[in-house]
Amino acid sequence: MKRQTRTIAAFVGLIILLLLTLFINIFIGSAGISFSEVFHVLFAGTVDDTTSGIIWKIRIPRVLAALLLGGALSLSGYLLQMFFHNPIASPFVLGVSSGAKLTVALVMIAAVSRFRTVNSAVMILAAFTGSLISLGFVLLISKKMERMSMLVVCGIMIGYICSAITDFVITFADDSDIVNLHNWSVGTFSGMSMENLKVIAAVVITASAGTFLLSKPIGAYQLGESYAKNVGVKINFLRTALILLSGLLSACVTAFAGPVSFVGIAVPHIIRVLFKTSKPLILIPGCFLGGSIFCMLCDMLARTVFAPTELSISTVTAIFGAPVVITVLICRKRGEL
Amino acid sequence: MENAKISADSLSVGYKKPLIKDICFNVRGGEIMTLIGPNGSGKSTILKTIAGYLKKHGGDVYFEDSSAEKLSPNEKAKKLSVVLTERIKPELMTCRDVVETGRYPYTGRFGKLEQNDRDAVNRAVEMVEMSEFADCDFSEVSDGQRQRVMLARAVCQEPQILILDEPTSYLDIHHKIIFLEILRKLAAENKIAVIVSMHELDLAEKISDFTICIKNGAVAHSGKPEEIFTDDIIRELFDIPDELYKKYF
Repeated sequence: MKRQTRTIAAFVGLIILLLLTLFINIFIGSAGISFSEVFHVLFAGTVDDTTSGIIWKIRIPRVLAALLLGGALSLSGYLLQMFFHNPIASPFVLGVSSGAKLTVALVMIAAVSRFRTVNSAVMILAAFTGSLISLGFVLLISKKMERMSMLVVCGIMIGYICSAITDFVITFADDSDIVNLHNWSVGTFSGMSMENLKVIAAVVITASAGTFLLSKPIGAYQLGESYAKNVGVKINFLRTALILLSGLLSACVTAFAGPVSFVGIAVPHIIRVLFKTSKPLILIPGCFLGGSIFCMLCDMLARTVFAPTELSISTVTAIFGAPVVITVLICRKRGEL
Repeated sequence: MENAKISADSLSVGYKKPLIKDICFNVRGGEIMTLIGPNGSGKSTILKTIAGYLKKHGGDVYFEDSSAEKLSPNEKAKKLSVVLTERIKPELMTCRDVVETGRYPYTGRFGKLEQNDRDAVNRAVEMVEMSEFADCDFSEVSDGQRQRVMLARAVCQEPQILILDEPTSYLDIHHKIIFLEILRKLAAENKIAVIVSMHELDLAEKISDFTICIKNGAVAHSGKPEEIFTDDIIRELFDIPDELYKKYF
């Protein structure tokens, strides 16, 4: 079975790549800690407090956040593509990320000025609400318009409106809030605490497992709603589940790392081509792994290329992600994909 | 006498308002019923209502002895399958992948195919004579082959009732005949009740056991093909003026 061999080989390759990027990310950084020192900190106990602090409190939370949130973002894009039967749907393109960004900014400003801190569960809740509001608008529009290009244009417009309101709010916020907000609103995996990470892990792992359990109906849904209904898929349940899961996954990303572009579109396409299949049972874990690797690599570049200056994560993901999207569109026109 | 696999009792169908009223029929296993009528007469509306995509406005549809609306989605999926007019464009799916989706009602939580599922898929693929192309990408085969794949998908769902909405419309005459021949064989061998809407009157006459003519919101005629496919009925059904009818038929 040629197909099976390909699947196994691709999974093995992805896992090796994942571990490799994970370790490179832990070993490389602007602090200039040598290989053997990192090794000591990881496997043989502490070297000194500063070094182990950098490893355990900065590098490891950050790379794990990139791993989990990258997977979440890619999966969220995959789900939206399935839902809209649209190859370029993703949380960023459809304005879902921007909606989440707006509500999070509002909550941050309101909460920070009163209580000085924001609870991470509240952040996720705010982002989730914003995601669902944006998705609601996109859904309303998609009912009126059949053409998928129009859907994307409308999504981008919703994104612009939300960003404009966010900028407006930031302009009138207190100075102390702005510093916080600005860092976050351009997108970054830095400043992740272990507490944040626990919340992220809980949400992302639950939502991803939920997605995996939906593999079978998602597979049937690919032939269109009518055929899915004919084989007994509970369409309304599936559609609601797809929206809630993709909203939750992208909300989690936006709440902690800000809006991150292109991962949601580019990675599912790379994974499809890699596995040469459309079976969700393979693509769902594949997309998660792919998104993790992609985000860890991009984050590594973001923090090392111009160190100590850091690039925003979206700068890097766009450079690698946008060409993939363009290629997809060109191939599609030729009918090759 | 064998009981009807599907029957309708003064069924009325339509979108917001009832469009066609008082539809009655019985189809037994192995029989093919055709629906004919002008464009927009509501053939698709009837088929969609029977298949459960549209809410009925009155009357009842029975699958064997049970009322169609009382069945769960899964029970219904094991009884009835469809070939629709809407064209699907799945990505990176082989013809076999498309056929396999028909096994949905029979597989477990993750949709893993067991040996009996794979056998059913193979039988369906062989029946529509697509074995040779089973592992080709669905988007790369011809319209005629694609339509046969959709038939195979419907068949491996192992239904009692098969509903097809203008399945031969886009095919050339060669593929139309192949398709209908397969359908005929399928109905006879698997004892499936088939309901199919068609525009090709000459072919409909040959394949039908029973025909219903739809016009102006009502069943204009129904009966055996030799009663229906007469000059008078066809001319009236499609509003063809006398001189044109003589010229073209």
